Amino acid sequence: MTTTIEQLDLESAVRSTPEPSWRVVVWDDPVNLMTYVSYVFRSYFGLARDEAERLMLLVHTEGRAIVATGNREAMERHVQAMHGYGLQATVERFEP
Amino acid sequence: MIVAGLGGGDGVRIVLETEEAMLLSELADQVDSVLLLGEADDPALGRLLPNAYPDDRDAAHDFTRYTRDSLVDGKRQAAQRVRDATAVEEPGGVVQIELDQAEAWGWLTFLTDLRLILAERVGIVEEDEAGSDESRDDYLRAAYEWAGFVQGSMLEVLDPITG
Repeated sequence: MTTTIEQLDLESAVRSTPEPSWRVVVWDDPVNLMTYVSYVFRSYFGLARDEAERLMLLVHTEGRAIVATGNREAMERHVQAMHGYGLQATVERFEP
Repeated sequence: MIVAGLGGGDGVRIVLETEEAMLLSELADQVDSVLLLGEADDPALGRLLPNAYPDDRDAAHDFTRYTRDSLVDGKRQAAQRVRDATAVEEPGGVVQIELDQAEAWGWLTFLTDLRLILAERVGIVEEDEAGSDESRDDYLRAAYEWAGFVQGSMLEVLDPITG
């Protein structure tokens, strides 16, 4: 019984969410301290410490990390905020 | 330079030697100048105001048009606050500065902008003929390292690793 209700809820949630097709990429920058980047991710995106650290390490080791997906306007706001913090961030379109 | 927590709340107390305060004030004034007077093709400005759409010239242009003024204002304000807080009336002694969480963010972002500019300037010097301006290079490098030390010390207080 409980399982059925949860499945229904999940389906309606999926249907009502518009497909995000833009994302924010943060690029590696040898200047920024790792502790700073992680602190920015937590403070601005409200991420848990573990997730913020994971994304920060991804930026550091892979050269880039996707930190948000959604509509274009929201992604541009995030990129503007990242630039305010001094992080190198770009907006890019992707096929979901 | 000493960074410590504020008793009973979020924030930091920074204690600077007079010489350190004067240096920081001077650097903050220079960051403000770069933001105010920087030529559009100054690579240091490019670090502070990156291209949000490297593969789309029109979108990049629009993004810059809508965001640049507000970004520059925010960065200049942060630099000016650091400059004013570190302005030394008379030599000798130490300068004590208390920052709440919001003010501390202003310092953290300023220190980031400062290091981005210094890194760019040192990079430019490195490309020149060897020995063209070594003392300037050394000064910029020292300032770069020191600004990173200040920022790292602030983060240790603001964001202690609880494990």
